[in-house]
Amino acid sequence: MDRAKILVVDDELILRESLQGWLERDDHAVETVASGEEALERVRQSRYDILFLDIKLEGMSGMEVLKKVRDIDPDTSVVMITAYGSISTAVEAMKDGAYDYLLKPFEPEGLSVLIEKIMDNKAQAREAQYLRAEHRERTRFENLIGQSEALQKVFDLIQDVAPMESTVLVTGETGTGKELAAKAIHTHSQRCQGPFVAVNCGAIPEHLMESELFGYQKGAFTDAKTTKKGRLELAYGGTLFLDEIGDITPRMQIDLLRVLEEKLFYRVGGTQPIEANFRVIAATNKNLAQMVKAGSFREDLFYRVNVISFEMPPLRQRKDDIPLMAEHFLVRFTQETNKRIDAISREAMDELMTYDWPGNVRELENAIERAVVVGKGRQIRAVDLPICSETTSQPPGGSLQEVEKNHILAILNQTGWNIKRSAHILGIDRSTLYNKMKRYRIAREQ
Amino acid sequence: VTTSRADQPILISPIGPVDAGFIPPIQNAVREIFGFPTRVDQVLDEVGFALHHVRQQFHSTAILDALAQHVPRECIKILGITAVDLFIPILTHVYGEAQLGGRSCIVSTYRLDESVEHPVAEQNSVDRLIKEALHELGHTFNLRHCREQTCIMHYCRSLHDVDRKSMDLCRYCRVLLQDELKRLGLG
Repeated sequence: MDRAKILVVDDELILRESLQGWLERDDHAVETVASGEEALERVRQSRYDILFLDIKLEGMSGMEVLKKVRDIDPDTSVVMITAYGSISTAVEAMKDGAYDYLLKPFEPEGLSVLIEKIMDNKAQAREAQYLRAEHRERTRFENLIGQSEALQKVFDLIQDVAPMESTVLVTGETGTGKELAAKAIHTHSQRCQGPFVAVNCGAIPEHLMESELFGYQKGAFTDAKTTKKGRLELAYGGTLFLDEIGDITPRMQIDLLRVLEEKLFYRVGGTQPIEANFRVIAATNKNLAQMVKAGSFREDLFYRVNVISFEMPPLRQRKDDIPLMAEHFLVRFTQETNKRIDAISREAMDELMTYDWPGNVRELENAIERAVVVGKGRQIRAVDLPICSETTSQPPGGSLQEVEKNHILAILNQTGWNIKRSAHILGIDRSTLYNKMKRYRIAREQ
Repeated sequence: VTTSRADQPILISPIGPVDAGFIPPIQNAVREIFGFPTRVDQVLDEVGFALHHVRQQFHSTAILDALAQHVPRECIKILGITAVDLFIPILTHVYGEAQLGGRSCIVSTYRLDESVEHPVAEQNSVDRLIKEALHELGHTFNLRHCREQTCIMHYCRSLHDVDRKSMDLCRYCRVLLQDELKRLGLG
């Protein structure tokens, strides 16, 4: 079962504490609040997998909180906590979108089965999303493009580190092209004839990760009808790219460390050791050193991975590259959509150059894709760009943070606070958007 | 400053009447899994202070707090063993409870001697008690529940699950225990 992020809402301290203590033994991340108002504040700022919500609360009732939570984040599963006298209300709550209800005190096994069921459903949904994203990735072609000084330094570094066998850690914000840098290292390395196998550690559901990486032997578990090679085995003679390595679970950190130390691994259910013949390139948008300090990333694995490291510069630090990249994306998307658009207008290019691109190259790519789709003439106009809304076409002013905050707000308003669509337009994933909303204290006004 | 495991025993502390035959096998298992010596001593005479009069059960968190206050300085952890029925307010009952990463834990024999519906390999209550004692002690060493069904840190929903698990840590939990011991300067 995956680790769940849980919010407990109950006005009785002793119940909050006992439920929190119990759930933490299962390694869930648990927060507690005493009122509906506080709960809504938290749900606006952060994403929760499960909300345990007492029906009878002082102030705003559990039913009101349920309705508002369903509006703010329909992906959060709400479990109502009820006493014997309120079962009919709990049944009403389920009609209003609650996942289930529990009668307090709960049977311990009932609680654990319920959480497992919720997390399994979420894992299945993520799995489907992962498979769709993987299909989309396979159908795209991308290259590192740019002539800026910042990117030229990266090219030089890639040339230097490529021939070595050392592990490389590529850091940088979301959308800066870390995977492209890893591919470039692979292409210039002695392993270039071998495969480049990418693993997005943040996207693969936890329960699939072990068999995905290590493969499995026929009969290792009920569904293992045939023997399957994992990505480590598929990377034989080439490069294994571990994207979002900061997202891997403590268990997988132990397994990876063992592979890197012993240069051997086993398929799940297998007894024959398999040689780990690949070079590892890892990437992250997180600060691994800080994660080590916080105890969420193993220090020994950090030193194994962080042998050589470099940072991909954010797009706002290499704006000189924007025209070249925008033209590249324009050609690509006009070919894909079969549209006749020859150029980007001067006004549109000015917009592209003044904007700060918090979602980096991926956001630029998405902006051009959208402009090609909605564009009517032979040129991309400023109004075709998603960054050119009424709010953002004003001279931005202020600090980078203010600009980013305002842009996020504008997109949220544009999409009616649809988190999924907003994240897509911004070119970042939903968790990054939630984190930014939390950081900038962006919350929907009631 | 003490830095050796040999100087920091785990205290096994019966609370109220507990079958004396339970204690030596628990001591052996604790020594084997955690690598600390054990000592047996009663620090609480009774747990009436934790009785919930309506539920007629004993609030395990309150007992844990009392145990933590009474554990001798030289002992690294304390494991309370009781025959009373334990609960925490949100749940109907618990087999035991521990302070996650803390010093005290407790297990109860109360619900461990029931028979299971499908006793494939039904064990006696001593084996079950040992497993639950090791499990709760594991929590005090910061170990969380483990998905490996045979690992001692696996959360058991039923006595059948308890019977099915082994008396050992899986390889992940062994590494995580070593991490914690290193963090404590005892690795």
